[in-house]
Amino acid sequence: MSHFIYAFREGRISLAIPFEVTANQRIAESADALYSRAVHLTMRILVIDNGGQWTHREWRVLRDLNVEVEIVPNNTPLEKIKADGLVLSGGAPRVGVDAQKMGMCGEYIDKSGVPVLGICAGHQFMASHLGGKAGPSKVPEFGKTMVTVDDEDEIFKGLPTEFVAWESHNDEVTQLPPDFVSLAHSDNCAVQAMKHKTKPLYGLQFHPEVENTDNGYEMFQAFIDICQAHKKE
Amino acid sequence: MFNADKFIEEQAKKLKTEVKGKAIIAASGGVDSTVCAALVSRAIGESLLAVYVDTGFMRKGETESVDKMLRRLGVNHIVVDASDEYFAALKGVIDPEKKRKIIGEKFIRVFEREAKKFGAEYLVQGTIAPDWIESGGGLRDTIKSHHNVGGLPADMDVKLVEPLRDLYKDEVRKVARALKIEVAEKQPFPGPALAIRVMGEPTRESVEIVREACAIVEEEIEKASAAGKMKLPWQYFAVLLPVKSVGVQGDVRAYGYTIAVRAVDSVDAMSAVYSKIPHDVLDTIASRIANKMKEKVNRVVYDITNKPPATIEWE
Repeated sequence: MSHFIYAFREGRISLAIPFEVTANQRIAESADALYSRAVHLTMRILVIDNGGQWTHREWRVLRDLNVEVEIVPNNTPLEKIKADGLVLSGGAPRVGVDAQKMGMCGEYIDKSGVPVLGICAGHQFMASHLGGKAGPSKVPEFGKTMVTVDDEDEIFKGLPTEFVAWESHNDEVTQLPPDFVSLAHSDNCAVQAMKHKTKPLYGLQFHPEVENTDNGYEMFQAFIDICQAHKKE
Repeated sequence: MFNADKFIEEQAKKLKTEVKGKAIIAASGGVDSTVCAALVSRAIGESLLAVYVDTGFMRKGETESVDKMLRRLGVNHIVVDASDEYFAALKGVIDPEKKRKIIGEKFIRVFEREAKKFGAEYLVQGTIAPDWIESGGGLRDTIKSHHNVGGLPADMDVKLVEPLRDLYKDEVRKVARALKIEVAEKQPFPGPALAIRVMGEPTRESVEIVREACAIVEEEIEKASAAGKMKLPWQYFAVLLPVKSVGVQGDVRAYGYTIAVRAVDSVDAMSAVYSKIPHDVLDTIASRIANKMKEKVNRVVYDITNKPPATIEWE
């Protein structure tokens, strides 16, 4: 029987709660802080679903950051993509061997005209689609990994240059596409983050949407800011 | 940010128009289904019947305590003992996905039976986001079939209502606190229950071993956390492994099974880190388990993997 039922019966429930609450409060506080400084322009960002386990987490983080957000399948026709920014989710497809499962992601990158953030499979696909290469990792990474920022750019601005990130990948970017720069690396993966030199195209190998990744909310806020700046142009 | 009061208000309106008649709810006594029961009960009152199924895989004292809790909550409910049916259906089954599918289907059959008796057309479930995400479908890979999603048979007789589909556990807890539900902070427990904490065939005997071990793990960890020695983990339990090893008990050779202790910290179950339990707490757990079940268990190990690469439960 749960400790809490005992505690509740004995009228100690208020003593029993805090252990669980502290962990939840931590995210709540970080999201609340961002929420309060977010400019309340309605931004609409679509999460393109490539079948990832954390696609819905991306939706949740963007919703927490007060963005109008929707998850759409990756075969949605381009003309129905009406947004200020796109997140290409991670996914079960292994881009090295079954890129066709990535649906219309190529068209979105080429023609949507809005900032695109590729995550994991979305990031690998962006690289291979734009003339770089993605393939099996020599050492795949699952779970906790240390990532080092080499160039903070907009996406990591003001954040610590070494941070804990949560990973889950068998493949990785093995060659950058033309006009892309690498922004971060880990011991086993040279391209943990990349961006186009002039266009608002970003790729992250790790998962900023996962609770255990340090400053994930801040990275999403940075992407929202990028989308906002792009909208004003 | 997620606003629990707003959610409760929206759902109250939505449920009143969505559920036009009698409904039953699959109630396990956990946070998700209890929150659901409270929400739907507010919307349709006595037209809701909560059905708690005793599968035979429940934890120590669980059936009695859930019965009392639902009574205190004022939800119209019944307890169905279907344990013989479940043990019979799982005879010789060792594959985890098969276990989950069989249990999922059995749940629905029991609910259909009860729905018919009560005259209900709707089945309410406390499905939350990770349940359908991990169950897979379309592009998404099946990590494990949650009994309330991936285990559902195609030919169902009742209409499904799932008010918590887009929520994660931390958000459900916020709703539970707003509704002043006493199990708001209760640790998650899988629907297939102890059947998936026995690696191998769930028999009355093997389930009894893991039930006892789970009770010891829960007691010791709750005691240590109440004493301020550690933070209460997100989830903490025991798993019975089919691995036998040699031991020595009272100068006599022993050859028994292994219990794995698992405890993790998480916010939403979609990622997790193993809990850093103090060694003296692990020590007490290991001694108590091995002493209590000396003929059956003579080794206890602690699982130190995160999610990913592992999952929280073993099956």
